[in-house]
Amino acid sequence: MLDDEGLLEKIADTALDDDYYVVRARPHDASHRFNTVLTGVVLAAFAVLVAVAAIQTRSERPAAERARESLISDIGSRKTLLADRESRADKLRAEVASLRSSAIGADAELDELRLLAADRAVRGPGLRVVTSPGPTGDITDRDLQRLVNGFWYAGAEAVAVNGQRLGSLTAIRQAGGVIKVNYVATGPPYEIVVLGDADSLQERFEQSAVGRDWLQRRKQAEVTFDMTRSDDLSATAVPKDRLAIRHATAMRGDA
Amino acid sequence: MIPVIGLAVGIIAGLILQPTVPTALQPYLPIAIVAALDAVIGALRALGERRFDDRVFVVSFISNVLIAALMVYLGDQLGVGSQLSTGVVVVLGIRIFANAAAIRRRIFHA
Repeated sequence: MLDDEGLLEKIADTALDDDYYVVRARPHDASHRFNTVLTGVVLAAFAVLVAVAAIQTRSERPAAERARESLISDIGSRKTLLADRESRADKLRAEVASLRSSAIGADAELDELRLLAADRAVRGPGLRVVTSPGPTGDITDRDLQRLVNGFWYAGAEAVAVNGQRLGSLTAIRQAGGVIKVNYVATGPPYEIVVLGDADSLQERFEQSAVGRDWLQRRKQAEVTFDMTRSDDLSATAVPKDRLAIRHATAMRGDA
Repeated sequence: MIPVIGLAVGIIAGLILQPTVPTALQPYLPIAIVAALDAVIGALRALGERRFDDRVFVVSFISNVLIAALMVYLGDQLGVGSQLSTGVVVVLGIRIFANAAAIRRRIFHA
């Protein structure tokens, strides 16, 4: 039966219950027993069904809407609360900084420690390195880690990759084909700002294993690698959440 | 006359008594109404074609409502409740439209 007509057409063609045709196959002059109590009862049942459903839907709607509205206002008040707290935290942080500087004055040692801990922005001489994958090679997170460690070894005081300062908790990681520094996605070309004494930095880097490796890779056109000295480089402080150490154990030793 | 009175009595009774549907039965109410509507529209068409018979109407009404509710219940138990109710609504909707079209053709001869 489904050969020449679709399922939906068949449903439409047999829309009227077959029973009507079975009970009263031939055309008649009038309908049979329409005006009966039975018909009335069934129609009454139908009307009750519709009325109940309508009332139910109508009475339930305000409750759902009320819940929704109270949730929205909840979200709004929590957002303002959060903004309040954040601005208060900012204010307190600034206060702490000013109190600290007024209490201990310009402490050279603290300044130096903050520089090494990447806690403050820094400006000064150093090396500016731009590198990106060459025609035959690739730069992975591992390569970047080794490169940055090479600069630390060469005596860098501060390092930033594409504007992200490297602190003690900074990770250079590959996630989904993208290299992330401080959990911020970045990509080639990688601009690495290395602060420190430019001359000794370059010399020590080029003599280190990492430096020789990178220069070798440049020769084989695996990477482009461009190192320039500069007297005026700057790097921002590391993001606050990459700075706070919550658990630490003191080690006894010389270092 | 009696059918019209029945309809009016049903609406008034529903509005005045406002019976609350048990939460367990609530999902089946809309489907039951669509099924009942199918039976009622079918009855109207049969009326126009002078084929109406109150027993057929009663049986088709009750069986429509029960089977529709049963299918949704079964679907809920099997975890395909929404799909099955969609199927029921589609089939009943087509029938309602087809019957309404037949009534329209009979009234307007078009």
